Amino acid sequence: MLQAQQQAQTTDIESRPAGTVAGRLLRAVRSGGSNSTLLRQIALVSLLLAAIFPLFGGSFFTRLAIEALLFGCIALSVDILLGYAGLLSLGQAAYFGLAAYVAALMYLHVTQSFWLVLLTASASVGVFSFLLGAVAIRAKGVYFALITFGVAEILSKITHNTRAIGGSDGLIGIPVPSIRLLPGLEIEFANNYVFYYLVLGTVCLLYLGTRRILNTAFGSVLRAIRDNSDRVPYLGYNPFWYKLLAYVMAAQIAAFGGLIYPLLRGFVAPHLFGFEVSTKAVVMSLVGGVGTLIGPLMGSVIITFLESVVGSYTERHLILLGIIFIVFVMFLPDGLCGLAQRTFGAGRKVKP
Amino acid sequence: MEDLLAYLHFVVLPQFIDALIIGVALALVALGLTMIFGLLDVINLAHGELYMLGGYAAFTLLGWGAGYWSALVLVPVLVGLVGWALEELGIRPLLPRADRAIVTLLFTFGVSLIFRDIAQVIWGTETRSVAAPLTGIANLAQVFVPIYRIFVFGAGVLAIAVTWWLVYRTQIGAVLRATAVDPSMVASFGIPIRLVYGFTFLYGCGLAGLAGVLLSPIYAVFPTMGHDFLVMAFAVVIVGGMGSIIGAVVAALLLAQVQGLASLWIPPVWAETLVYGVMLLVLVIRPAGLFNRLGEA
Repeated sequence: MLQAQQQAQTTDIESRPAGTVAGRLLRAVRSGGSNSTLLRQIALVSLLLAAIFPLFGGSFFTRLAIEALLFGCIALSVDILLGYAGLLSLGQAAYFGLAAYVAALMYLHVTQSFWLVLLTASASVGVFSFLLGAVAIRAKGVYFALITFGVAEILSKITHNTRAIGGSDGLIGIPVPSIRLLPGLEIEFANNYVFYYLVLGTVCLLYLGTRRILNTAFGSVLRAIRDNSDRVPYLGYNPFWYKLLAYVMAAQIAAFGGLIYPLLRGFVAPHLFGFEVSTKAVVMSLVGGVGTLIGPLMGSVIITFLESVVGSYTERHLILLGIIFIVFVMFLPDGLCGLAQRTFGAGRKVKP
Repeated sequence: MEDLLAYLHFVVLPQFIDALIIGVALALVALGLTMIFGLLDVINLAHGELYMLGGYAAFTLLGWGAGYWSALVLVPVLVGLVGWALEELGIRPLLPRADRAIVTLLFTFGVSLIFRDIAQVIWGTETRSVAAPLTGIANLAQVFVPIYRIFVFGAGVLAIAVTWWLVYRTQIGAVLRATAVDPSMVASFGIPIRLVYGFTFLYGCGLAGLAGVLLSPIYAVFPTMGHDFLVMAFAVVIVGGMGSIIGAVVAALLLAQVQGLASLWIPPVWAETLVYGVMLLVLVIRPAGLFNRLGEA
């Protein structure tokens, strides 16, 4: 009886021609439901901790936490690409740096309006990421990593060598504007707490938005591409456009971090484009757990604070970063979220 | 007309000779990178730091009173052994993973960070100079070239020739090329793949160490020298074709000339950017590089 029922179910699934592809993909996602419950709990706990943090942190650590959230945006964008589309970008800092420079130049020479700057930075990153993505995504495997690495390196060199935009010194003395949210409601960036909650709120929205988008059929197709790029075209999807869309979306998220960064530190410099920032973002998502979205944000907080604390004792914090890198690559490839899932989730699979 | 000849003779030719010497040294680093990629699919981001280690090892050995010539022999062996240890301890456990290209890249990047920092702990951040064993300047048709640079050129060419002979004319080379095509087939003939991989790392990293010793009297030794050189070596390997021996040599000579000659007319910093521009162009037009991968030719 039971057997017959099972058989009936199987044939039902296998014989349904219409919408089977999306259906199967969606079911595959839903079967990982308990996983996302745990991830959701992790996200909630981290949000709670983040929300009460300024009460204990003091202004130095509150500003450090803002920086962690901004770098977390690059880590999140790395995770979208690596965890969902299977693309390793070694140049994600390019968009952070690009947005930071566009924003800094706009504030210094053109306008004080935050919304106008947001629009310009977002548009320039959008155009740039579309063009670069269209080129880079055609290259397979490690070549994608190398192209993104090369372009970020070129951007870094160009800013380093162009005196008109500050050369190796970067741009300093960027004014801190206030944002007009509604007529009559202005937000001052000068207040650390206002600044912190504003960034925290926006990063939360980015996280939730990304999760929502990646839980749709779009995300499922991306994961299918990640797992077997050659078969997806047979199902009627063109991997190119899906990857490109993911790439442009990831660039926008990294750009948000870059957009805010000059307001936090008051300067921009060529190192923001650099290889160190790009790879640090990869470490962050690796530490938190690739493909979890919340992991990279946690990883960013952990790495940024570790670096700051260790950096106050010794200049040689790169050793620590390197050791963390190696330990996670070799022994904890699914990161802290994966560790939590294995500990609390009774041996479930890690990747969504 | 005479002006042009003089210009070519006294401005372009010296620059050409300088770039030729850099190109040969660059080829040594790029050869190791490309062999390791060709056989193991591993992008060794620590390769620049092994080159750096070569420079520092030479500096230390000379400080202990060893002669330059003994350092020239000893250092590549030492650096090669470090590379072998890396392969044995770190790379090998990662090879069975499905995403090995990515995880090994991340692993070697971690190693490069550690090496760079350890170098700063041991040798400090300042630039260390190494005395050239040969002094004197040769007069090649009115172009004055330090004799040591000529020696570097000769040694580099010799090392490249030995590598070519090893890969294309010996039994070991046949095994290497076969492994690049199909490791499991090679293993089924009873050849220990483990040793083949270990040897590739030993030899490739040894070449980087050799480049480190050879260039240390010219450019001095400092902690970030590996990173700067690696980015250039990457451009070479990408242009020449990842995993191609001939490609690495040709592209190294070519890109060194692009950078050297371009800096006659544009600021040197922009010449470097131009090299990356060429790299990007090649990636876009021919993502797999100009030459075929090892074993595919």
